Amino acid sequence: MTEPAGPSPQDPDLTAAGPVVNDRQGQGSAPQRAPDAVDSWRRVHFISPLVRGWIALVAILYFVGREWLEGLFDPGTRGRGPLPEGVGLLLAAAVLLGIVLLVAAAFFVSWYFTRYQVTDEHVRVHSGVLFRQQRQARLDRVQAIDVIQPLLARIFGLAELKFEVADAGESAVRLAFLKLDDATRLRATILARAAGVETDPEHPENIVEAPEREVVALKPGRVIGAAVLSGSTIVLVVGATSVFVLGVVLDAPFVATSFIPLAIGVGGAYWSALSTGYNFRAATSPDGIRMRYGLLDTRSQTVPPGRVQALGIVQSPLWRTKGWYRVSVNVAGYGLAASNDGQARATLLPVGTREEVLQILALVLPDPGTERPVELFSAGMTGRDDVEGFRTTPRRARWLAPLAWRRNGFAVTSTALLMRSGVLWRQLVVVPHERTQSLSIEQGPLDRRFRVSSLQFQTTPGPVTPRVLQADSGTAWELFHGQAARAAEARRRSAPEQWMKPVVEPTRSSEPGETMPEAPRYVPDQTREGAPHELR
Amino acid sequence: MRSEPIDPSGLEWSRVSPKYLRVRVLGWLLGSLIWLVIASVPLVLRLTGVWEPFPPGWLAWSLPALVLVIALWRGVLLPRQVAAIGYAERDDDLLVRQGVFFQRTMVVPYGRMQYVDIAVGPLQRAFGICTLKLHTASPATNALIPGLPTEEGTRLREQLSARGESRLAGL
Repeated sequence: MTEPAGPSPQDPDLTAAGPVVNDRQGQGSAPQRAPDAVDSWRRVHFISPLVRGWIALVAILYFVGREWLEGLFDPGTRGRGPLPEGVGLLLAAAVLLGIVLLVAAAFFVSWYFTRYQVTDEHVRVHSGVLFRQQRQARLDRVQAIDVIQPLLARIFGLAELKFEVADAGESAVRLAFLKLDDATRLRATILARAAGVETDPEHPENIVEAPEREVVALKPGRVIGAAVLSGSTIVLVVGATSVFVLGVVLDAPFVATSFIPLAIGVGGAYWSALSTGYNFRAATSPDGIRMRYGLLDTRSQTVPPGRVQALGIVQSPLWRTKGWYRVSVNVAGYGLAASNDGQARATLLPVGTREEVLQILALVLPDPGTERPVELFSAGMTGRDDVEGFRTTPRRARWLAPLAWRRNGFAVTSTALLMRSGVLWRQLVVVPHERTQSLSIEQGPLDRRFRVSSLQFQTTPGPVTPRVLQADSGTAWELFHGQAARAAEARRRSAPEQWMKPVVEPTRSSEPGETMPEAPRYVPDQTREGAPHELR
Repeated sequence: MRSEPIDPSGLEWSRVSPKYLRVRVLGWLLGSLIWLVIASVPLVLRLTGVWEPFPPGWLAWSLPALVLVIALWRGVLLPRQVAAIGYAERDDDLLVRQGVFFQRTMVVPYGRMQYVDIAVGPLQRAFGICTLKLHTASPATNALIPGLPTEEGTRLREQLSARGESRLAGL
């Protein structure tokens, strides 16, 4: 038996019904009138059923066409065409047309019954014909907004809008498809209302997208180079070598064909690296971090301030020669998607130099909480031992991690915790103090023998796993209690959900022509060159 | 309760109900019996002569013996495992600890709790205890307090909810 926990620990809107109110009802019940209807109900663009349904149409044509082709070459039916005896070509065409029309009608009806509305506080979507669904999500619970243009939609100038809340999985609201202008305007409206920006009461429609300043732009050469030097290449080389050696040793003739699956896999990895990294641009705006990328399908993502739960910087072995890093993040709305798309969404920088990584870090963590951010984060990315105040695995436990013990470590600033690990795949994880969900300290029998403990930090699902491995037990306990206290303190001071509302002055208005101030940037500490960084 | 090297100093741990040990022992007896019966099948078949040549006598005997040894070892550990479960309410967070060989202590801030579950199975209901589980936005948060007396579980749930509300935080 499971019962809910009486009064909710969260504000009533989040826990009483969740950030998304999802109302499924049977046939016949009338949609309710919105109490705070500001905007009228709208439908997505008229041709979106076609764009969404084209795959279904292609599939039908494919199967029919294949049957027909096979019929042509089949010796039994050769010369008689693909049709069974006594069925005219006209009838077959009519049946095909009927199926196509039926599919088109289904998409059209689904389109007709899907309507959306954005009010001051909510975004609502009504959909379904027989089983109606009414969904309502609170705007200030937004975790991320994506505007996606698949290739076909791009041809028609359409875009899909995805509104993510913290349910770690499927999008709360998906509007496919809108005109690109409408989609960007809707995104601006949602973000402005979620941020609590004061709008012109006479022209509430007159919302201008927040200004932005480009921070990082990747050239195609870099993206191609990154793909070539990625782990896929290692797989390719190792795989090719082993296949070749096996072929020579066994004197088998299957060498060439066994390359095919390998080539497909590696080629796919190259392609996804290229298509998701191509034309990558990151920008800062009052609405948060903006990312744009894509070769055929283009995506534009917005992550509002304070929505990054954890950030990971990884360097694969071959990238070390070029000094490149990859930055990925845990954002509550993105969840743990294993697909290429999901990985790309959670990537804040597909490939970047140390300076670019620091620039991205400065956007996520405007206040690094240390006077020597450049030195500290550099030590986290490439350094080892206790440089810049990192606390590593004690020497007595070096056999538990013979390679990595000098890298495994952590450092604490007044705003974030840095966790460093890995020798071949160097990794640095940064967790802002106020984003710690819970943490646990663990010790196995072997750890106890060497007087070390490991810490696990639980964050929302995503590609980044923050943990401290094999720290000295005393230090680990100090961190455990210190971190619990720091997290509580940081939460008390943390920015509100509506990130624009209570700041001292409204930095954003609905007036056009406004410019975005300089992006935050970490500067190296010149005053104390070479001085050791104090652990705070 | 017994202090372990992993324990922080100056912290008062609350223990779970001693009835929980009885529930665990009952479960352990039942589980061990089932495993033992399964492991004895080859032996019985061998002794009755249904399976003649294949399982050598020593193998047929050693299988249930191994199961018995593992079951006894688990039974010996049970009291210590139950004794190792503890929780402590602090001002801002709840600490939960468990484990004998693999020890783990978890801290869950009240403001991070999304909801609290109380689960009671038929055996637990017979003994008047329940299991409390905390959920945060992270599915990896595995904060479970088994074997709470029912009234203590209810009190803790209300307490946690009230404290969570007074320490509002989003994600």
